[in-house]
Amino acid sequence: MISDEMLMAYADGEADAATRAQVEAAMREDPEVGRRVERHRALRELMRGAASAALDEPVPERLIAAARGRASAVGAGADLSRAKEARAARKTPALRRGWQPTAMAASLLVGLSVGYLLWHGSGRLIRAVSGGGLVAGAALADTLSSQLSDDRSPARVATTGLSFRAKSGGYCRTFALTGADASAGLACHEVNGWQIKVLVQSPSEGSAANFRAAGSELSPAIRAAIEGSIEGEPLDHAGEVAARRAGWAAARAH
Amino acid sequence: MSTNESLENIQEQIVALLPRLRRFARNLVRNPHDADDMVQIAVERALLRLDQWRRDARLDSWLFKIVRNAWIDEVRARGRRGKLFLAEEAGEQVGEALMEREIDRLSTEAALARLPEDQRLAVSLVLVEGLSYKDAAEVLEVPIGTLTSRLARAREALQSMLRPPEGELS
Repeated sequence: MISDEMLMAYADGEADAATRAQVEAAMREDPEVGRRVERHRALRELMRGAASAALDEPVPERLIAAARGRASAVGAGADLSRAKEARAARKTPALRRGWQPTAMAASLLVGLSVGYLLWHGSGRLIRAVSGGGLVAGAALADTLSSQLSDDRSPARVATTGLSFRAKSGGYCRTFALTGADASAGLACHEVNGWQIKVLVQSPSEGSAANFRAAGSELSPAIRAAIEGSIEGEPLDHAGEVAARRAGWAAARAH
Repeated sequence: MSTNESLENIQEQIVALLPRLRRFARNLVRNPHDADDMVQIAVERALLRLDQWRRDARLDSWLFKIVRNAWIDEVRARGRRGKLFLAEEAGEQVGEALMEREIDRLSTEAALARLPEDQRLAVSLVLVEGLSYKDAAEVLEVPIGTLTSRLARAREALQSMLRPPEGELS
């Protein structure tokens, strides 16, 4: 007697020699057996073919980094609920708790890129101010003040990513410089302009272009800075419009 | 070959497997972001435990198993099977499409989503990922007989969900 499991194993190429012989004999006797084998094969093809589209989806940068042993955002001891809670709290997949200082090794922090930028941009992008801080130069400040995050016009010096209100009351925005510098950072609007809180030399060239789409590609240092300072959730389009209208000045809700 | 070279080599193999790991994880966790989180957790674990990978075993099987175990840990940690699971409404949404015989990606996905988890994973590993019965049984940590009976039941259910109306098949 031929069971359906035997036919299935035959169709999947998993049958042993004895079963194969049995199935083939049955197929010769009864065409219906052959049709049943064919249906097993057809289903296999259908399932495989339907699932193949998923392979064409771009893989998030954070997973590639994790596979290369870099930029741990979750930590091997982390669990999904932790990651999920963080996301639910922020409504942004990019932002996670559990970020570890060791992940900083993946990014080159301030010192390395700033000197280059200061020299290169002649202060248009980043300026040092007395007291040791960094502020956005005129061109970058203009972009941060005027450009919405979903604006894709190419001529700007930087793209803007997440905008949010900080615990201190002011607004902060992530940005990525569009030039050859390929640096990204976090700037917060304070009394004397846009203060650069974090500046990171981007590890991957071309990341500026995708910066907005992929919050998950925020560098760990920037992500950590957001984690530490965000109040509530990132701004949506309407929130950005309102904040821009208010000049990104500290504005308390209520 | 230095240790570093071989580590990099394995890391790149893992990178190449990421699309399949994501696809597999979506059979466990419905929300794609959650599924990616599971993949990330699993990949990070895998790199820490590379010494546990038997080099004669398939890397993909081993990683599927880590993804699945990460998910089991997650379920245990939560103590309940929450809404992260593939829910039945995924199938219900496309019931009409099935009646229209649109056997496309969405409807096969929906049919798959309606299967019990055990059967869904058997289908995912054997039919979609192309693992042998033996490798799939190892990933799921069940005897081969259990795997094949799950697979047979899953196929039967899928056939009836995806079957064209009478007369379509000669």
